[in-house]
Amino acid sequence: MNAPSTGTAAVPGTDSPVFAVDGLWKVFGPRRKAVRIPESEYASLPAAELREQTGCTAAVRDVTFDVRKGEVFVVMGLSGSGKSTLVRCMTRLIEPTAGSLSIDGEDVLAMDAARLRELRRHRAAMVFQHFGLLPHRTVLDNVAYGLEIQGVSRIDRRAKAAEMVAKVGLEGLEERRPGQLSGGQQQRVGLARALAADPEVLLFDEPFSALDPLIRREMQDEVARLHHEEGRTMVFITHDLTEALRLGDRIALMRDGKIVQLGTPEEIVGSPADDYVRDFVRDVPREQVITVRSAMRPAVAGEAEHGPALAPAATVVEAIEAVARCGGPARVVDRGRCLGVVDDAGLLAVVAGLPTPDGRGVAA
Amino acid sequence: MSPTTTPVRDQGPPGPALTPDGSTGSGVNGRPDRRPPAAAPPRARLRALLVRHRAGRRVLPLAVVAVVLVPVAVLLPGAAAWPASLAVDLSGPLGRAGDWIIDNRDHHPLFLYFFGHVSNAVVVSVRAVYVVLLAAGWAGVTALAGLVALRLAGVRLALTCVAAFAACGLLGMWVPTMQTLALMVVAVAASVVLGALLGLAAGMSDRADRALRPVLDTMQVLPAFAYLLPMVLVFGIGVPAAVLATVVYAAPPMARLTALGLREADAGVLEAAASLGATGRQRLLTARIPLARRQLMLGVNQAVMMALSMAVIASVIGAGGLGDRVYQALASVDVGAALAAGIPIVLLAVVLDRTADAAGDRLGAAPLPPSQRRLLGRVFAGGYGWLLTVLAAVAVAAGGRMADSSLWPGSWTLPIAEPVNRAVAWMTDHLYTGVPVVGGTADWAARFTGWVLDPLRSGLQATPWWLLLALVGALGLLAGTWRTALTAVLALAAIGVLGVWVPSLDTLSQVLAAVAVTLVLGFAVAVGAARSARAQRLLRPVLDVCQTMPQFVYLIPVVALFGVGRAPAAAAAVVYALPVVVRITTEGLRAVDPAALESTRSLGATGTQQLRHVQLPLARPALLLAVNQAVVLVLAVVIIGGLVGGGALGYDVVLGLAQGDLATGLVAGAAIVCLGLVLDRVTQPAKEA
Repeated sequence: MNAPSTGTAAVPGTDSPVFAVDGLWKVFGPRRKAVRIPESEYASLPAAELREQTGCTAAVRDVTFDVRKGEVFVVMGLSGSGKSTLVRCMTRLIEPTAGSLSIDGEDVLAMDAARLRELRRHRAAMVFQHFGLLPHRTVLDNVAYGLEIQGVSRIDRRAKAAEMVAKVGLEGLEERRPGQLSGGQQQRVGLARALAADPEVLLFDEPFSALDPLIRREMQDEVARLHHEEGRTMVFITHDLTEALRLGDRIALMRDGKIVQLGTPEEIVGSPADDYVRDFVRDVPREQVITVRSAMRPAVAGEAEHGPALAPAATVVEAIEAVARCGGPARVVDRGRCLGVVDDAGLLAVVAGLPTPDGRGVAA
Repeated sequence: MSPTTTPVRDQGPPGPALTPDGSTGSGVNGRPDRRPPAAAPPRARLRALLVRHRAGRRVLPLAVVAVVLVPVAVLLPGAAAWPASLAVDLSGPLGRAGDWIIDNRDHHPLFLYFFGHVSNAVVVSVRAVYVVLLAAGWAGVTALAGLVALRLAGVRLALTCVAAFAACGLLGMWVPTMQTLALMVVAVAASVVLGALLGLAAGMSDRADRALRPVLDTMQVLPAFAYLLPMVLVFGIGVPAAVLATVVYAAPPMARLTALGLREADAGVLEAAASLGATGRQRLLTARIPLARRQLMLGVNQAVMMALSMAVIASVIGAGGLGDRVYQALASVDVGAALAAGIPIVLLAVVLDRTADAAGDRLGAAPLPPSQRRLLGRVFAGGYGWLLTVLAAVAVAAGGRMADSSLWPGSWTLPIAEPVNRAVAWMTDHLYTGVPVVGGTADWAARFTGWVLDPLRSGLQATPWWLLLALVGALGLLAGTWRTALTAVLALAAIGVLGVWVPSLDTLSQVLAAVAVTLVLGFAVAVGAARSARAQRLLRPVLDVCQTMPQFVYLIPVVALFGVGRAPAAAAAVVYALPVVVRITTEGLRAVDPAALESTRSLGATGTQQLRHVQLPLARPALLLAVNQAVVLVLAVVIIGGLVGGGALGYDVVLGLAQGDLATGLVAGAAIVCLGLVLDRVTQPAKEA
């Protein structure tokens, strides 16, 4: 991988990954030319020069990551960074040019058409930015569409669809057409349709970008709730940093088809890999992302016994409240053991973006 | 979260590293800008200006050519018409070919085993439909039409439908109406199936699309008359030729719209279907075709309207029915009888169009919940509704049979021919000439002929043939690419080679005059209508009705007003093309970006200034399209005008048909095709390259 990655060390590899992506390339352009680019000297050229010299566009360049079971893996980047192409490559809606890709250890690129359909029908379902609903069908029939394609009988699929409609909170709207729904409701239909197949992984392609901010917030909560209840693995594409930070267990930040940084929200905000990332996260309220784990210092005499207790995953905002309330340092306690303390100096340093007690720079 | 939606762009001075990528990135990376720098020397700027404006680039050589050619044309008089040495007399070979076909029609294997079967199938199916219609009786047919309209569009259209069929009976036209209907049912079914299959091919395969598109495009600009002769040549005069001409005429719009619908299907939905693991066939059947259903319905609608139009015109080659009545009546200038047959045509057109329209609208709308439906709607809703519809119609038909009145009762008819003819006679006496101040209609016709048509015709015919070719080439170059120009020039040259240069120029003169009148009137009306919402409201229903009427019908009032001759043919063409020009222009003017208009108004522009500086320039594509449509439509009717004394090519076709002189007719038909090509190509709205 030619992109710096700091995130893999933070969470120790526990299970085998659901999706394993290794050195994936997608080059658009004349086929003969495109397949040669990943191996050629053009591979390292910037996007514009590559286009000028070869007529090809590299949308995804040498991308490597794993998606672990049960996590929300966010791919984040601005428009044109290749994130939507990347997620389409994962079920081969767009055929990757080079690299390897496997789901549960099975090589996706080697699948024949029938096996690939099987993958799309049962293992990975996708939710689209523009919903992709069939305008001539009712909500219920749209939700049941995936099951219909699988050949599930009408009664069974409608029963399952009704269940999914209830799950996403659309009861009473079953007989409406998509055109009669608001954007948020339409995306709930899209979500229900994806859930109906009971897939192992949900792929979201900027699902809430077309919605207005309040609805977007509501839908994010909905996804968070679903993830909390079912623990389904999710790959979530977004261009919205706030959304990425709110939903993501881990975030891969893409630029020009490459992953610039891969890590937990705290790592991305707390230790940006380069200036691009730093600029990206400059306006993020750090205190809402950074946990006390990185703001604490070792306890000195007596401090380990007194003061309010905080979990290591508590954010700095919560610590500020606790510290302000009691007037002294707060303890960071994990399973009854005191890991350290946070005081006003450490917390203010996080808010101000100064180096934290453990010496890591929060921001430039 | 909106403040952070695009975090980078809002922050600080974005250095090159911050540019997202793509468009902005390329400039930063030092790629030279394509625009010429502002400080370029004046000559380069001028050249850039000329190159940038397509018109400018094209006008320059044209002007040079004109300056050279016009004096030469003046210096070399006498060689105006197409030289006989360059013409090929095809009447001999064509006549022999026609004779051969007529001789061999009964025993040559090609006719026996292919055309014979086609012809028989057509005859049998038309017969079958006709027999069913007659067996259902007037009560059954009217009830079925009413119930179908009720099912599709509601009570109002159902009543209109019933009234329309009743009117057909009242006018004593029940049997001809059924004949036309039977012919149309078969022709529409065939053309919808054919069109849908062609459209499916063109919609799914790029190669088929590339192959079909130019053919369909060309077929759509050809006048209906051009389709008649080849059919007659193969099938002889009669129902099979009429039905097949109708099918060939009505299938292209269906094919085009099907292909368009399939190609325009929302890519996002198709991708979603693929992501759910749909097979290619599932995607086509559950997503692509349903997504195209509006266009498909529109295609059916168009096919129905074109088929009606053609079924009427095909009376010239033995279609029978309403068109035949009009044709016979016009031949003897019996306006009353023509009107009696024309009214049912118009009624059929309106009813069919509205029903198909309503069916198309219904596809898009969600069904009302049962509680909100009226009683009738509730009874006929759902899948059982269709069964109920058919059953009810059968019941009414059976009732009609028992009352022993399958044909419209003779005592219920209202003969209008007589009073109409009296009115026309009165008009002939009082309005033709000598009306104070304005003059009479015949005077107008005579003046139009004498002052406009004749000078134009003699002007065209006196112009050297090579100058006309050059002119057409120049216009083609101006309108499109060199390919357009080449097609137009070759088509015009083909007219000369065919040896019908003089009559073709006669037709051309009528077309040009009629187009000029149409455009002046049409643009004037449209500019007025675009300014006032009320004018538009008043205009819309009129335009709707006018656009649904078959070309043939327009000849009736024109003959009543102006008699026969070239001027009435031109007038009919104007009346036929006017609604389309008005509609396209009005829509173009209204589609002008309101922000642009508002900013002009805020600068204090007057109404005329707004029109000249904003509306007309911005509506240019619509105006060009209007010109193109006007030319195509006018040509179609001017040709048909051959039936009412328009002379020229249209008359040759009719004469060829009437006297069995296929050679004359075929040559004229080919010339019509060429003329259609020339006119369409030189007015092609320029496609931005």
